[in-house]
Amino acid sequence: MRAFLYDRPTAVDEAVAAVAADPQAAFLAGGTTQVDLMKDGVWTPDRLVDITRLPLRGILVESQQLKVGALTTMEELAAEPVVAQRLAFVREALLHGASVQLRNMATIGGNLLQRTRCRYFRDPTVSACNRRSPDSGCAAVDNVARMHAILGVDERCIALHASDVAVPLIAVDASVLVNGPAGQRRIPLTEFWVRADEGPSIENVLGHGDLITEIDIPLLPQGWRSGYLKVRDRASYEFALTSAAVALQLDGDLIADIRIALGGVGSVPWRAREAEEMLRGTPVDPLRFEQAGRAVMASAFTVPGTAFKVDLAVRTLSRQLLTMTEAKR
Amino acid sequence: MTATQPDLGTWVGKGIDRVEGPHKVTGTAPYASDVTLPGMLHAVVVTSTIAAGSIVKIDSSALLTLPGVRAVFTHENFPRLNTPTQVLFGEAPVVPMQDARIAFHGQEVALVVADTPQEATEAARLLEITYAAEPPLLDPAGQRRETLPSSPDTSRGDTDAGWAAADVRVGATYRTPENTNNPLGLMGCVAVWDGDHLEIHDSTQGTIALRTILAGMFGVPESGVRVRVPYLGGGFGAGLNQWPYKILAAGAARELGVPVKLMLTRPQMFRLVGHRPNSEHQVRLGAARDGGLTMIEHRATSLSSMDFPAVGLLTSGTPHLYDCANVATVERTVRLNRRYPTSMRAPGEAEGNWAVETAMDELAHELGMDPLDLRLRNLATERDPATGKPWSSNAVIECCRVGAELFGWSRRDPRPASTREGDLLIGQGMAACGFFAYMPMSQARVTIYADGTAAVRSAATDIGTGTYTIITQVAADLLGLHPQQVDFQLGDSDMPASAHSGGSGLASSLSNAVIDAVSHLRGELLALAGPDSPLHGLAPDDVVCRDGALCRRDDPSAREPIADLLAGSGLVELAADGRLRPPEGAARDMVHAAAYGARFVEVAIDPMIGRLRVRRVVTVTDGGRILNKKLARSQILGATVGGIGQALFEDTLTDPGTGRVANGTFGDYLVAVNADVPDVEVAFVGEPDRYTPSGTKGIGEIGLVGVAAAIGNAVFHATGRRARDLPITVDQLMM
Ligand SMILES: Cc1cc2nc3c(=O)[nH]c(=O)nc-3n(C[C@H](O)[C@H](O)[C@H](O)COP(=O)(O)OP(=O)(O)OC[C@H]3O[C@@H](n4cnc5c(N)ncnc54)[C@H](O)[C@@H]3O)c2cc1C
Ligand code: SF4
Repeated sequence: MRAFLYDRPTAVDEAVAAVAADPQAAFLAGGTTQVDLMKDGVWTPDRLVDITRLPLRGILVESQQLKVGALTTMEELAAEPVVAQRLAFVREALLHGASVQLRNMATIGGNLLQRTRCRYFRDPTVSACNRRSPDSGCAAVDNVARMHAILGVDERCIALHASDVAVPLIAVDASVLVNGPAGQRRIPLTEFWVRADEGPSIENVLGHGDLITEIDIPLLPQGWRSGYLKVRDRASYEFALTSAAVALQLDGDLIADIRIALGGVGSVPWRAREAEEMLRGTPVDPLRFEQAGRAVMASAFTVPGTAFKVDLAVRTLSRQLLTMTEAKR
Repeated sequence: MTATQPDLGTWVGKGIDRVEGPHKVTGTAPYASDVTLPGMLHAVVVTSTIAAGSIVKIDSSALLTLPGVRAVFTHENFPRLNTPTQVLFGEAPVVPMQDARIAFHGQEVALVVADTPQEATEAARLLEITYAAEPPLLDPAGQRRETLPSSPDTSRGDTDAGWAAADVRVGATYRTPENTNNPLGLMGCVAVWDGDHLEIHDSTQGTIALRTILAGMFGVPESGVRVRVPYLGGGFGAGLNQWPYKILAAGAARELGVPVKLMLTRPQMFRLVGHRPNSEHQVRLGAARDGGLTMIEHRATSLSSMDFPAVGLLTSGTPHLYDCANVATVERTVRLNRRYPTSMRAPGEAEGNWAVETAMDELAHELGMDPLDLRLRNLATERDPATGKPWSSNAVIECCRVGAELFGWSRRDPRPASTREGDLLIGQGMAACGFFAYMPMSQARVTIYADGTAAVRSAATDIGTGTYTIITQVAADLLGLHPQQVDFQLGDSDMPASAHSGGSGLASSLSNAVIDAVSHLRGELLALAGPDSPLHGLAPDDVVCRDGALCRRDDPSAREPIADLLAGSGLVELAADGRLRPPEGAARDMVHAAAYGARFVEVAIDPMIGRLRVRRVVTVTDGGRILNKKLARSQILGATVGGIGQALFEDTLTDPGTGRVANGTFGDYLVAVNADVPDVEVAFVGEPDRYTPSGTKGIGEIGLVGVAAAIGNAVFHATGRRARDLPITVDQLMM
């Protein structure tokens, strides 16, 4: 392992300044992504700025939203009673992610910034990776792709954004507060990530030295229900093959309002607006659920290893809608 | 007939805790990774990034200026070594770094030695190697360099006639993927030379094999090589071969004149210490209306590396499980530019059983017969159908019956896709299984001390199965002692030679060696009894050890305290050696039977999203005499978890173009986790085996065999869809 400098600032400005001043510096939160990348030799910063001493941990409950400090751990957020009551799908997505040990280390800010699990990205002996080295090609497209994306991708990069919790967060229009060299700004999550087919080497809109300080999560209105369905090969401790986060409000047999996002399929957490529009204000109808899913998948780009995900994603969404509307198949 | 040893039964069988448990849980058990020696340097292996071709240039001089780097070995400066001796078990290693040729992606091409592991790792990362790549042979169905016979072909009767005579026929192709052994303990070693004497602390499953190979390669006498493996973080077969990493460490230590430590990384564990190779099986079965098998044909192919032999064993169980007059097996191995394969828990049987027991289920379905009845109708329990000789024991029918009872098999609705629970389809499947008998030579020395305690010593290894404990129990019974009075020392090649821990052979081999040693010890003690002794003139089998005394077996009041016998001859200790003896009497005409089993599984499948969960497993094993109930149960339980992994998850993938392991980390290669494993009911049936005095059979591997087929058969019962390729994943199950 390569030697690096280690800073442990206690103030946000200090941390931002430390990273901003050194192009080879990176923030370190729980380290569950960052340290892996260093061990694999994919990203070997000369300086790590440990942000875990910054006063950014904890949850403030307001009437319409939660203000979640970026250093709040996945377990802490899942344990917040208001999350269970008003954001059930956020809690479910958190608890279906990683393992207890990881969730006790992993921060919510770090979760949004986790890097793709693509094994070609994470193995520096593989030369073709447009995400790691621009214009070098994409090894995944021609080799083993299963845990890869089918939406927001093309033959230049099929990297998946594998976060679970980001899926319901994008569905409820959460946003992040960022402190950077140029001051503070708010970025809605729907505008936070950059799709691989819009440029494989840029993952999000943050600049060097930008620090996420807070995640603001609007609470679902009273009378809404929500749920997260994660489909994966083994029962626990694995990323999603496909997942669906759904929040909706029923009015008798009518879907009065609905929010949908899909995981396991996109180069970014995937807000399924086409599906929302097709279902909003319509009666509960299993056939329509499937059509809504198909509409989202219309733009899918697949390779042999990921082709099954088109159908699986449609079924995952349908199943979750069936469960939440208690409709018969 | 070999007399079953009568003195086993006080401690043997009891589920006592592992004797080495406290060392393990307090972190005081020294594994190879814990060994630190003064002046020790750290070595890191660099591996090739092409699968075929040669090295044109390695720029190692640039590394020597980096902090801490002491040496870089490549094919240009690594010592030329002798061709390795073929040992009893494990393929002879390919000597690393002897020339520029590359035979697979991930081959050892350089060794960086530095003051710290961090410095060595960083330098290894920076090493620049120029290759002349050639197109690799990677596709088993493509152009082949060489096809080797693996297990010998077998044939009895006339399979064509059996096929023609059958009322019902099935035939299909079944596949299993590459699996990686992946013991939790990373493998590695520390090698140190003192003149021409080499000592190596390693993670091998066989200390003696490693000694022989290193002595031969480095041209030193076997007495000059000492291998130490007191603890081993598992192996599942990965520790059977004497892999190149050890040779590299020993070579570097000799060249540099200091101790060298080399620990593999987890990704390297996927490339440098073997795997269960992919296999493909064509199985044809024919049966009469009543279910009697008229023929079995099993043709199998697996893969190996260019310079490597075959692992084989895919068809090894097929001729022996079922009573059928017409059986043929053919097995081949294709060599490709792929990494070295090896034995992985239940090698060959785990794959071959998947194919044959799935085919049996297909046959039962075609016959309209209960799969359990088809097994009961055909299992060969009295005699080995291949030789016609009696089995030394075989309780496979009892395994099936007891398993069916515990599982509630009779309540199963035989129609596929007949049982629903809400969104779920429920299925139940079963499989029968056997595991071949294998029992290589072991020797042991038993020493009794004047203070009444005893020691057993053998070069065996405890791979984590419980060898320390079971041999302590055997010796305690034979010596009439409490287990705490017996110290079993192992894992040192300077002790009496022993078989490796592998092939489920060690428990039998070593327990019989201890029985033999104690018998000799009784003889030695009797020789100390003077003419006035009540024991004078008795034979070793006429006496037993009880409560610190040697007693007449038929009259325990006739006794001599062992301490007195020793003192009377001026001895403070007395030792005797023993070894596994060939079978005697009637056992000579028997076929040595190994373990049998029957597996019963219930699965729940959500066909909409392809989700499968194993809900229930009943696993019944005929393991002969069970030496320790608790450890035996753990072996079967762990093997069941492995079987679930084989059925549903484990799949080492190779990049089709480059031959690189595509998923060589625990994040990408899935093994079963707790949430995948339901309650597993473990039962044992059968009698002590008649082949050896200990009555034991190995149970380290049988527990895995049959699990995958039982799961696959349950999937068919649940859904009506037949899975023939492992692992059975979500995409196969969406309906
Ligand atoms: C084995 C394994 C299994 C996993 N399974 C799942 C799963 O099933 N579902 C799932 O959703 N996730 C899963 N994860 C991912 C895990 O959730 C993330 O690694 C974790 O959330 C990252 O948080 P961290 O605090 O450890 O971040 P770090 O590793 O410390 O940081 C991640 C990245 O973000 C940057 N960073 C961190 N905090 C900030 C901040 N506040 N502002 C700006 N930059 C920042 C760091 O520089 C780094 O580049 C898994 C991870 C592992 C290792
Ligand atoms: S999918 Fe993207 S991250 Fe993976 S190899 Fe291709 S370019 Fe790199």
